[in-house]
Amino acid sequence: MTNEANANVSSNNSSSRRSPFKLITGGHRGRLAQIPIYLGKDFRMFIFQNDWKVLPMSALIAALIALVVGENMYVTMEGQFQCSLALTCVCIWNGFFNSIQSVCRERPIIKREHRSGMHISSYVIAHLIYQMFLCAMQALITVSVCKIVGIKFPTEGFITQWFLLDIWITIFLITYASDITSLFISSVVHTTTTAMTVMPFMLIFQLVFSGGAFTLSGPAAKLTNLTISKYGLVALCSQGNYNSLKSVTLWNTIFRIRESSPELKEALWQIEQAGQLEEILARSGEAMQETAYAMTKSNIYSCWGHLVMFAVIFAILSIIVLEFIDNDRR
Amino acid sequence: MQVIDISFIDAFSFLMWLVASFGLSKIFKKFNIEGWWAFVPGARIYWLGRCADREEDGKIAMVFEILTYPILLSGQLVNPDLEISKYLALLNIFFGIVCMIYKARICIDLCGDLKVNKNWAWLWVFAEVIPCLVWAYNDKYTPNKALLRYNGLDPILDDELLRSLEENVDTTDSGLAVKIKDRTVRNFLDKRYLLREIFMNVPPGHMVLLLGGSGAGKTTFINAVTGYEKANAEILLDGMDVYEKYDKMKYSIGFVPQMDLIRSNDTVYRTLYDAALLRLPSSTGLIEIGNRVNEVLEQFGLSSVKGSLVEKLSGGQRKRLSIAMEYISDPYLFVLDEPDSGLDGVIARDLMRRLRAIADQGKIVIVITHTPDRVADLFDDVIVLAKDSKRTGRLAFYGSIDEAREFFGQNSMEGILRLINQKDEGGEGRSDEFVLKYAERQVEPK
Repeated sequence: MTNEANANVSSNNSSSRRSPFKLITGGHRGRLAQIPIYLGKDFRMFIFQNDWKVLPMSALIAALIALVVGENMYVTMEGQFQCSLALTCVCIWNGFFNSIQSVCRERPIIKREHRSGMHISSYVIAHLIYQMFLCAMQALITVSVCKIVGIKFPTEGFITQWFLLDIWITIFLITYASDITSLFISSVVHTTTTAMTVMPFMLIFQLVFSGGAFTLSGPAAKLTNLTISKYGLVALCSQGNYNSLKSVTLWNTIFRIRESSPELKEALWQIEQAGQLEEILARSGEAMQETAYAMTKSNIYSCWGHLVMFAVIFAILSIIVLEFIDNDRR
Repeated sequence: MQVIDISFIDAFSFLMWLVASFGLSKIFKKFNIEGWWAFVPGARIYWLGRCADREEDGKIAMVFEILTYPILLSGQLVNPDLEISKYLALLNIFFGIVCMIYKARICIDLCGDLKVNKNWAWLWVFAEVIPCLVWAYNDKYTPNKALLRYNGLDPILDDELLRSLEENVDTTDSGLAVKIKDRTVRNFLDKRYLLREIFMNVPPGHMVLLLGGSGAGKTTFINAVTGYEKANAEILLDGMDVYEKYDKMKYSIGFVPQMDLIRSNDTVYRTLYDAALLRLPSSTGLIEIGNRVNEVLEQFGLSSVKGSLVEKLSGGQRKRLSIAMEYISDPYLFVLDEPDSGLDGVIARDLMRRLRAIADQGKIVIVITHTPDRVADLFDDVIVLAKDSKRTGRLAFYGSIDEAREFFGQNSMEGILRLINQKDEGGEGRSDEFVLKYAERQVEPK
């Protein structure tokens, strides 16, 4: 008989042994105390799981956008609008990518830990804090890259003393709201493949219903109120004082058809010679003003408020959805 | 608003639906399903899915079919000139396409089950009345096997025997007392018994092998015993009710899942340290936690890799880490679901010896393994769960390994499995016989 078998025989008699069971009466770590555990995990993942790569990625995208459409930002209405829309899309893209896989990739692990006493709210709050850090860094990088590439930002702030801080807050809030939206999607779906399938639809929805890229009417127009892109676009255009900028669309259109009529060509030449071009462009801008983009504090606060609301709602929904994780099948 | 206008086409469609329903009800009877379900809109596609062994598809098709009804009704009520009617029509088309795809999937499998050419499925999708009638009234089309229904009682054990079995369980003794009457799950329109009538006492210090074929209810049993998914049962750990005090007792119960569910990009030490923070009482000091982590790392032979990332560990090391994460709170009842899966014989045996050492401390260790014979000598007892003829998990045996061999007349654990597994799973299908035999043996005067 082997030693192991001997051990087996001896243990067969262990039923008479005194039980070592002691009920643990003390409490375990509550919701608040569990947050640092998961926050620590998230930051370790930032280093070890290459989450840090989203930072250089955001710099690259910001540089591309700034180079392509940044030249006329804060100069013309058209430039301001294009760049605001592009920046909004960049922020949404960044936000979506940050956390679209963060929950679903470790869903079975969450289920196991939930069984062992993890509080879902602690887990989600840790994610919210970590993603806040990530989005803040991305917003900082985006603003810095835009500045470095050559976008001429105004110096004086409208909400705070510094314009760059105002813009940073808006970019941060757009990114963060998108981030938490995708955190919610990641909490709902069960696999990373599904998450990555859903994401393009969400991006298209944000773009189509931003209220800027396409003219919408009827019920479709009302859908814009449900998009992060609308509030992001409005906030960026308002902060850039869109309504005070000149518009070049009319002038450019007339300029293109000048050859069709000698009188028109002559008139344009005379306007240029008389130095009235700037006045025409300014007047053209006045005609193109949008009340939605009015540079008022209430307008900007309203946009920021909506973006915060998106983040809060989706954070709560994420917690609610994940509370049912025990129902996941094997 | 307008009055609902029933045209000739609507009336004809309804008539066809009714005729098809009569055919379908007959088909349902062939599958052991009540025929009246065929007349319940929505539910009939679900049951059709069950017949084709495509329950999930049936559920989805049912949901989408039910969604189309209010839309169809709204389409009749709302003025077609209104913009909303366009959106309703679009929605209806979308839901209709989804329904059609799922219906096609179900029907293709149904054709296989009724041994007819799969092209019939297309006829079913577009003109269901024809296959419904042909398949219903032609005896040539009979299913490969009737659907197993779980909501009917088919007792193997009579009431008196059950009472005796229940009374036999000593609830005052130390160790684990299990009194599971049943564990059911309500699944859409059906109620299923997953487990029935399992009564036993597991003494402290025992390492128990949980044996059972696929679908015998091993995981369900474990979940019920650990209190994770409550059954109609009484589970006592040293006389304390696990279900009543689950929030406190769950820290004294360790469950190691089959998969190594660990974040791969974290270090071994931090993984275990975080597990300790979650599982140990908040009154435990950080130094004490650190000491406990080091102690467990040593016990599971992981000290040398404590600074490594989890992804760098070998299969055996990962498995040990997964076990260590649960063991960190020093659980009294320790349950492991296939801890040796994917490990070679030597490493698997080493792992089981570590578990044996835990049991020797007076703990109860329950292990599921699909390769029991290579480590059978390390176990004290074996629980044999068997799927009865109604596909419900039942207790076919609980006792020592040697007694099990004698009881079943087999030399190996795999031989026992072969005996109790159903015939369509390559077994001999004798589970009902052993369930009754074991129950009678339990109540025999000793």
